[in-house]
Amino acid sequence: MATEILVPQLGNEVTEAEVTEWAAAVGDNVSASDIVVVISTTKAALEIEAPCDGTLSEIRIGEGELTEVGAVLGVIE
Amino acid sequence: MPKQLPIDPGQTYSADKVRFTDIPVHAYKGDLAAEIARWGKDGLRAALRHMLVVREFESMLHAFKSTGAYRGIEYVYKGPAHLSVGQEAAAVGSAMALGPTDQIFGSHRSHGEIIAKGLAAVGAIPPGEVTSIVESHSDGRLLDLVTRHVGEAGGDPAEAFLLTGVLAEIFMRDAGFNRGMGGSMHAFFTPFGAFPNNAIVGGSAGIAVGAALRAQLTRSDSICVANLGDGSTGCGLIWESMNFAGMGQFRNLWQPPFDRNPPVLFCFTNNFYAMGGQTRGETMAWDRLSRIGAGISPGQLHAETVDGSNPLAVADAVARKAEILRAGEGPALLDIECYRYSGHSTTDTNAYRSRDEMKAWQAHDPITRFRDRLVDGGIITVGEADEMVEVAGAQIEAVTRVVVDRQLAPAVDLEASPTIIGDMTFNNEAIELGETAGDLLAEPAETSAVKSIMRKARSGIAEDGSQLSPMRAVTLRDALSEAILHHLTHDESLIAYGEECRDWGGAFGVHRGFADIIPYHRLFNSPISEAAIVSTAVGYALAGGRAIVELMYADFIGRAGDEIFNQLAKWQAMSAGELRLPVVLRVSVGSKYGAQHSQDWTSLVTHVPGLRVIYPATPHDAKGLMATALSGNDPTIVFESQRLYDRVETFEPDGVPADYALVPFGEAAIRRAGDDVTILTIGPSLYPALDAAGELAGHGVEAEVVDARTLVPFDYDTVIASVRRTGRLIIVSEAVERGSFANTVAANVTRLAFADLKAPPVVLGAPNWIAPGADMEDKYAPQEHDICDAVLGEFFADKRVNRRGVRNWDIAGMAKRGL
Ligand SMILES: Cc1ncc(C[n+]2csc(CCOP(=O)(O)OP(=O)(O)O)c2C)c(N)n1
Ligand SMILES: [Mg+2]
Repeated sequence: MATEILVPQLGNEVTEAEVTEWAAAVGDNVSASDIVVVISTTKAALEIEAPCDGTLSEIRIGEGELTEVGAVLGVIE
Repeated sequence: MPKQLPIDPGQTYSADKVRFTDIPVHAYKGDLAAEIARWGKDGLRAALRHMLVVREFESMLHAFKSTGAYRGIEYVYKGPAHLSVGQEAAAVGSAMALGPTDQIFGSHRSHGEIIAKGLAAVGAIPPGEVTSIVESHSDGRLLDLVTRHVGEAGGDPAEAFLLTGVLAEIFMRDAGFNRGMGGSMHAFFTPFGAFPNNAIVGGSAGIAVGAALRAQLTRSDSICVANLGDGSTGCGLIWESMNFAGMGQFRNLWQPPFDRNPPVLFCFTNNFYAMGGQTRGETMAWDRLSRIGAGISPGQLHAETVDGSNPLAVADAVARKAEILRAGEGPALLDIECYRYSGHSTTDTNAYRSRDEMKAWQAHDPITRFRDRLVDGGIITVGEADEMVEVAGAQIEAVTRVVVDRQLAPAVDLEASPTIIGDMTFNNEAIELGETAGDLLAEPAETSAVKSIMRKARSGIAEDGSQLSPMRAVTLRDALSEAILHHLTHDESLIAYGEECRDWGGAFGVHRGFADIIPYHRLFNSPISEAAIVSTAVGYALAGGRAIVELMYADFIGRAGDEIFNQLAKWQAMSAGELRLPVVLRVSVGSKYGAQHSQDWTSLVTHVPGLRVIYPATPHDAKGLMATALSGNDPTIVFESQRLYDRVETFEPDGVPADYALVPFGEAAIRRAGDDVTILTIGPSLYPALDAAGELAGHGVEAEVVDARTLVPFDYDTVIASVRRTGRLIIVSEAVERGSFANTVAANVTRLAFADLKAPPVVLGAPNWIAPGADMEDKYAPQEHDICDAVLGEFFADKRVNRRGVRNWDIAGMAKRGL
């Protein structure tokens, strides 16, 4: 089963974020609550945890790219 | 980066006890032979002589205050005289143990301390150096006065110089160490290690900690002594300062060689009274003052209670504490018990203490006791001691004769130069930045926070004319970051701190990523101690450093009120320009959090002379004005609107400069041209004003929108030139209207451009009540429609349309209701 890693709600007026760093590479095994990716808003950096155990099968938004609240950052299978 | 000090639940809840160790009380056991070996007979005789000089100096002031004459010299002295008669052993004993470069910071009762410190320094500094110190002060004018007029009776010329400089300062004369701008309660002379005394009880505590931080970071061997009264233990700043100096991070998180505590001694001259309040037993809970050390740190601040009637007991204790401080193991605390038998001030009738008590203490006089001891020990004869009294008397008399003489020692000439005092407010200096600092943890351009700003567009306007999002273009927050980071990476004397300054990245992200670049000792989290944050910055700066500190919300200015209004704002002028205070104080104006988190308090700080006040509204200005603030040598308050942190640059076609760039203070910016009405805005009101201008154009009214940018200094020229064309002025700001800076501008423009005005200027601010919470905010800070209502309603009655805002105040009626 594939689980998406989503950009969470970031606060009232914040809609965009940048992917600062991927802490896991495609093919890595990850456990729920491992930090897999760091994103930044205009104000702060935010560490995003793996939503479940599995393998990071896909990175959709690369480092340095902009994304939006709700977007899929990557996929865990 | 998460904390390096993990908190473990198991450990947290294991049973234990908090242990205290005994605090010594009067443990000194003086052995005269050992003291002779330590200080030499000359040293002991000098201690007696210094006490006599201090006693005579203060007796002279007492004589003037009580009888109008001293030794036949008549003089009316109108200023304060908080004398320390009876406390001389504390001042002299402490000075004996300190080196010339050690720094003392005093209180309202510190004449004795500066004289004792100065006399000790004159004795300890090599004569050639003393000569160059006295020759260079005030371009030699003070020395000239002394050599020409005080003459031989003044004793050693450097001592006469010291006494003349102090007395002239007390008598508010131009020849005073600070040109009479400080006076009795603020006198000081840094070349001898006597740093500012403070008329605000406890005021020196945080300043001394800041100066000690400077000593720590420059790896100097000097220690800093805060001379405080027992009454000051009731002041919040004292506690904030003791905690600040004792913070765990110095040892736990700072890297060698900075992993030491600031070398500061909290030295309480405990004379048992604070004016008429008896500290022990009445106004304080401590019972023993030294007990408070135990509440601060595991080392209990190395606290001790010491016999302040014996200079050798004091010297012994101060010397032992100094050693601890020089080893980096401070801070330390001394409770030096002594008794003043002079009144608190000369209006004191001693109603709060009994004659018997005073008599008992007079029988325990520190000078008589010390003299007797030296006589008994064969160190001095009675005849020699009596002669010493005579000589001290002659010395003070010679100095006094010259200083009271207004021909020889006049005050600054306010007739000839009416603004001379004002001219001492700011130095208007700017520094040049050096090479890249050598202590950086990472190359800034390699860090993710800097990279993410570098990827952004410099202008907020896309090629198609649309506005870019704050993730795509440099924001006001990024612009502030760039200016601050540039200074931090090019100036190792600059330190940055405040609550959440490091790991969190600044409460609002302005310091984001700095922790990857700037070492701990130049970027750190402070305790929630607004008073100590500002006070230590003042001390750090007046000791030669530079600081940018943050208070999160402008609303917290109240917690640092004295430190901003009486310390930061005043020391440059009170020192007659001797001191420089390159401190940038950042405060943000919040929104959505209600009455205690949403206030534009620019008017409070502009009201107090001595602070530069800026309020950038655009990213371009934020970068340039912040750079100007940081490169200046004057204290500056920077207001930052939280509503504007995510603003992109929409005015400057080239956007926010990528390179370091300055925007000068005192130049308002015209953001939109128009001939019918001038809208002057302060801070974020720029944006609703521009929206309003767009709407007014639809009614045939062309508004000129002027952004004040800086309030102190303020650019009347640009505003008045605009008003001469438009004939109408509305000033928009988020500050409450009553007593606001906007009202000052309105009044001055009315005077300066009266003939050109078609109507009286209008001030549109926040109403005179609390800022409401998020959902009601748009009925509080002036909005676009409020500006349109005011412009059309007040200036263009023929174009009036239905009012859209709620503001239709009856000013006089509301004032009657206290609103
Ligand atoms: C903040 C502040 N509050 C009150 C005063 C008025 N005041 C001047 S001296 C003094 C008593 C201070 O007592 P203490 O600290 O024991 O020093 P002492 O006068 O005994 O040397 C007071 C209340 C002041 N100068 N500053
Ligand atoms: Mg006292």
